[in-house]
Amino acid sequence: MEFEKVGEKRTTLHYFAITFLLLLVVMGILLPKGARSLVTHMMIFSILAMGYDVCFGLTNQCSLGHSVFFGAGAYGAIFSILHLKVGILPSIFFSMGAGLLLSLVVGLISVRLSEAYFVIITAIFFAVFHLLAMDMTWLTGGDDGLSIKLPSISLGPETISLYNPLVNYYFVLIFLAVSYLILNRIARSPIGKIFVSIRENEKRVQFLGYNVFRYKLIAFIISGLFSALSGGLYALTLRYGSADFFSFHWSIMPVVWCLIGGLGTLAGSWIGVVIMSLFQYYVSAWWTYYLILFGIIILLILRISRKGILGYVISRRLT
Amino acid sequence: MGIVNMAHGDIYMAGAVLSFYVVGMFGNFWLSLIFVPAIVILVSAPVERFVLRPYEGHHSSTMIATVGISFIIQQIALGTYGGIPKKITNPWPVSFNFLGVDYPGYRLLVACISVLILAGLWLFLYKTSYGILVRASMQDREMAAAMGIDVNKVLITTFVMGSVLAAVGGVLAAPINQVFYLMGDNVILLSFIVVIIGGLGSLKGTLIAALSLCSLEGVMASVLSPTKARAAIFVIMIMILIRRPQGLFRD
Repeated sequence: MEFEKVGEKRTTLHYFAITFLLLLVVMGILLPKGARSLVTHMMIFSILAMGYDVCFGLTNQCSLGHSVFFGAGAYGAIFSILHLKVGILPSIFFSMGAGLLLSLVVGLISVRLSEAYFVIITAIFFAVFHLLAMDMTWLTGGDDGLSIKLPSISLGPETISLYNPLVNYYFVLIFLAVSYLILNRIARSPIGKIFVSIRENEKRVQFLGYNVFRYKLIAFIISGLFSALSGGLYALTLRYGSADFFSFHWSIMPVVWCLIGGLGTLAGSWIGVVIMSLFQYYVSAWWTYYLILFGIIILLILRISRKGILGYVISRRLT
Repeated sequence: MGIVNMAHGDIYMAGAVLSFYVVGMFGNFWLSLIFVPAIVILVSAPVERFVLRPYEGHHSSTMIATVGISFIIQQIALGTYGGIPKKITNPWPVSFNFLGVDYPGYRLLVACISVLILAGLWLFLYKTSYGILVRASMQDREMAAAMGIDVNKVLITTFVMGSVLAAVGGVLAAPINQVFYLMGDNVILLSFIVVIIGGLGSLKGTLIAALSLCSLEGVMASVLSPTKARAAIFVIMIMILIRRPQGLFRD
């Protein structure tokens, strides 16, 4: 009975997400220029947040190494444009390929470890890649980074260019919608059910005869794939990438987004992204040390509800 | 104790920064070895009781919460102390000549103090009755509580002890390294690696891992660049973890 209700909420949430996406379509034209670029960034972050949610929210693997995939995605796109002279769409494939490869390697090593070890080893992976990216300036450009010239996309007779902010907006929006639909489909499919049952009781899933390691690895790889997609899109939007893409910021932000929005709700993490982006945008303008508030927010959210805003609402409605 | 403390490096940094202030105020470095632990005890005990207590035992929750704390400590240090690395003058500028090589006296002293602290910690954990309580609550908290041990008190003591040790480490390192508000980040990952390789909750393993890793990094830094040496350490650690996911010294 309770389970049906949860399913019902999921459907409601799905409709909310679809409405929100449609709203974004309309907003693209209406928004002023500055707000539009902010919303574009938010949409890119939402992809990262959803990708992270598959890992943390669905299978309860708290990874601090997702900046590795984000940065790999960004550099995958940049290198393929710079050195291979490919178009925009192939470059996104390259960035996702880089994410796939790295998440496979990192996942094979870390997924089998128990919770505390898992968090620490993913954090160590972040540190290794950040150090290497800072150190190998001949390859990555280090702190200064590399900038790229974007080739234009040809759609039959027309060619469009990502230099146009409006085109960029809708380009990102398409990716956001597609990734949401794919991830939502995954979360509702049998494999998504297995993910959730691993989160709820890993031992029992093991006794039922599922290969827990394999499913956790799959969730980790899906998560890395979408994080890399987000990194690639971010690099394309900024037309630039630097070692900063590997920094701790991109590891901890997804955790915060998902926690604020609601773990395991996919679309819920969008709320977290919107709140945190607005927060960063406005508060950092008038207070340099806004990260103090940031820390306090993390503590408060953990205290009030580990399931985030949406999880809190859902749990209140159910009881 | 079931807290994975991401803010540990920042407590270390706070120790160094506080000792900088103590030196500025009293002009005596050694006083900071008294003042800093006192301050850290006063701050960390309430933090454990009121902030971290609800998450204890959930590793990922404690990690996220302590990341929040680490942001707060770092930014406070940045706001009050500033972002520029400063140096504390060496409080004991003597050097000993041994077989034709000069050894700075302060470093030798720090080594002695560390050995003393480690010996004290070992004695406390394995030779006192309170140490038995600590180890018992570490192994099985519910059972320990059922046997009448005041687990909450043990939790607070261990957390405060950990913080004080980190801060003392920071104080001792302040005259050797530069005092910088991000100096904790360099230490925290290395100490995590050390603890992982040594095995969680094993003092002996931690000590052996720390000594061997640091000498290994020193040797490699003479061949490779410091960053590459650090990366090589990470790779070695990953190799060890693939072979023994539970750490080297844990059954």
